[in-house]
Amino acid sequence: MDVYFIVTQLISGFTMATLLFLVASGLTLIFGVGNIFNFAHGSFYMIGAYFGYQLVSVWKVNFWIALVAAGAGAGVVGMAAEYLFLRRIYGRAQEGGFQILLTYCLILIFDDLVKLVWGTEYKSISKPAGFEGALHWGEIAIPTYNFAIIFIGLVVVLAAWWILSRTRAGRIARASAVDREMLGSLGVNVPLTLTVVFGLATALGGMTGALAAPLRSVTPGAGIEVIIDSLIVVVLGGMGNFWGAWMGAMLLGEVNAFAVAFVPEWATLFSYLVMVVTLIFKPEGLFAPTRLRKA
Amino acid sequence: MNRKKIAVVLILVALLLLPCLASAQEKLIRIGALYPMTGRSGLYGMDSVAAAEMAIDEINGKGGVAGYKLDIVFTDSKSKPAYAVRVAERYITEDKVHFLFGVVSSGVGLALTEVSKQNKVIFIGTDHAATELTLDNFQPYYFRVSNNTFQSMTAGALYLKELQKTKPWKTISYIGPDYAYGHSQLEEIQYNLKRFGVEFQLVSKYLPKLYEPDYTSYITSILKDKPDILVSGFWGGDTVAFIKQAKAYGLFEKMTYFHPDAGGNYEVMSALEGEMPPGLILSARHHNNWPDTEANRKYVAEFKRRTGRYPTYAAEGAYTGIYAIAKAVEKVGTPDNTEALVKALEGLQIKLPEDPEGFTSFIDPQTHQIVQVQAIGLSQANDKFPPAKMMLGDWKIYKAEDLMPPKELIEKKMKK
Repeated sequence: MDVYFIVTQLISGFTMATLLFLVASGLTLIFGVGNIFNFAHGSFYMIGAYFGYQLVSVWKVNFWIALVAAGAGAGVVGMAAEYLFLRRIYGRAQEGGFQILLTYCLILIFDDLVKLVWGTEYKSISKPAGFEGALHWGEIAIPTYNFAIIFIGLVVVLAAWWILSRTRAGRIARASAVDREMLGSLGVNVPLTLTVVFGLATALGGMTGALAAPLRSVTPGAGIEVIIDSLIVVVLGGMGNFWGAWMGAMLLGEVNAFAVAFVPEWATLFSYLVMVVTLIFKPEGLFAPTRLRKA
Repeated sequence: MNRKKIAVVLILVALLLLPCLASAQEKLIRIGALYPMTGRSGLYGMDSVAAAEMAIDEINGKGGVAGYKLDIVFTDSKSKPAYAVRVAERYITEDKVHFLFGVVSSGVGLALTEVSKQNKVIFIGTDHAATELTLDNFQPYYFRVSNNTFQSMTAGALYLKELQKTKPWKTISYIGPDYAYGHSQLEEIQYNLKRFGVEFQLVSKYLPKLYEPDYTSYITSILKDKPDILVSGFWGGDTVAFIKQAKAYGLFEKMTYFHPDAGGNYEVMSALEGEMPPGLILSARHHNNWPDTEANRKYVAEFKRRTGRYPTYAAEGAYTGIYAIAKAVEKVGTPDNTEALVKALEGLQIKLPEDPEGFTSFIDPQTHQIVQVQAIGLSQANDKFPPAKMMLGDWKIYKAEDLMPPKELIEKKMKK
């Protein structure tokens, strides 16, 4: 086993982890702030991918502009979904169960909607100009587009950390996770806060969909497979923990990369194994701060 | 409500009832079809529905068969075996169908063949490739009208054998989805290479889960293995994702990509457009540009006219299934005599769009598997079927009779 291969595999894991994190970040954000488990988060990923397809492949918009627009578009759809549906079940006795049912319905509806608009054929987006090739370093070849993904992932994690912990808006968002009633009585418009955060979370999902589209196939149902892995990431990191999600994604990506290389036949097992072990021994998440937050 | 309004209502009611009256008088061949219409395999389901309707319109347009008109009901299988079984049972008990029809997933196919066996209702399988259905799990009321993976892997092994002469290769790696379809292709390619006396070494095998979105780690690991040939058993959108991700790593310049069951599917070409690399060795169960016969051109053009898109391989399976039913009923004279229909389907010859000049597909009486020619080609520039920019060419053709499992294997597997 040579060093080149280990470095290559590390970077492979890192690329995969970044996309995982970007999807999971929205999921964990809305859970951390609104205590909402958005099972349909993968559908916003899919919608973002379709918006990206429409913009880049049909309307020939610049890829990077399309990326932002696709994220914004998915965010608007997300805010509408929150305002029209989710908001109506807040505070119910068994809100958790209702959330899962409602967001599961959204998956089915969005799947059929994209089928009506774009049909069932697989769609795809080409990589942006200048990012088709790879960088070579000795025996290692790493596609430049993978570097772009890793870079965007780092920007998102730093920006989100800064907003959540260093700005007033971020503090309000975090406070709404702890006590919505108290926050409301202090004069903060809590429903609006939740709608905006939900919009941001789904925008992250949508942008990731468009970002991943040049590497994947855009198809109805594309949201389902990303939601499972994202869920593992969120569990590893601790539900609602942003940095935790990033580290959880990195752990999962690297475990997967080296499992594929050394025990290929059992590779898929490992991500689940990590989750099971975590749930048994540290159910609050591997990267949850030791000082537990009040539930 | 005044009289005029009452009259209008009565006329409307009469109009609504009219179809019921018409169907009560007409003699019908009732077909209960199940196809996925949502999610990832929805494309194949929708194409199958369109092609089955096309065949029915063609046949009914000419007056039907033996005084009967074909009548088909479609239900979304949701790709779920348990759900599909309930629908099939309802088809049999309530709709009194003469034939069960369809299915994209082999998992659903394996569940429905049991329903067909218990109820003694013929099940026409149009598009699911697991070889077991016509071998290990054979039952007299099941017939498959598209190739199985054994046939495509036999053609594949013959291709690799010839390739060794012009381009000496020794090692292969395999990658395919982690379920029945992916596992049987791996087993069958090895079985057939050995059977044809090809010397080879399997250096690695990868079985990522179906619909895995990210193959990066697999790709870098395959590059480390440095096989001469990468045999691929991916299906549908997974092929698209793998090719897109592997291309940037230069994988296709470093080894021969070989994907004889479903790599040459039209939807792969149309999704990848200009990103499809040239020189990949691929095949599919039906090609839009092979054979270049009047029948195939007409079939493809008519499908395009009706749906606005070119057909995927799944469509031709459904189209074939309807014609097989029509031919069998024509022979027997009634759709009600199941045992006679089974006899009629056994050995049935049927000229299809995918048949080259001088060959007619037929159903093998022993296994109930359709026997067809397989053409394997190389991806190359061709913009006659947009949005695809590459299609297959440089064909190598494998005779249908050579692709069937050897007698000993059939007997061994069917005894089980």
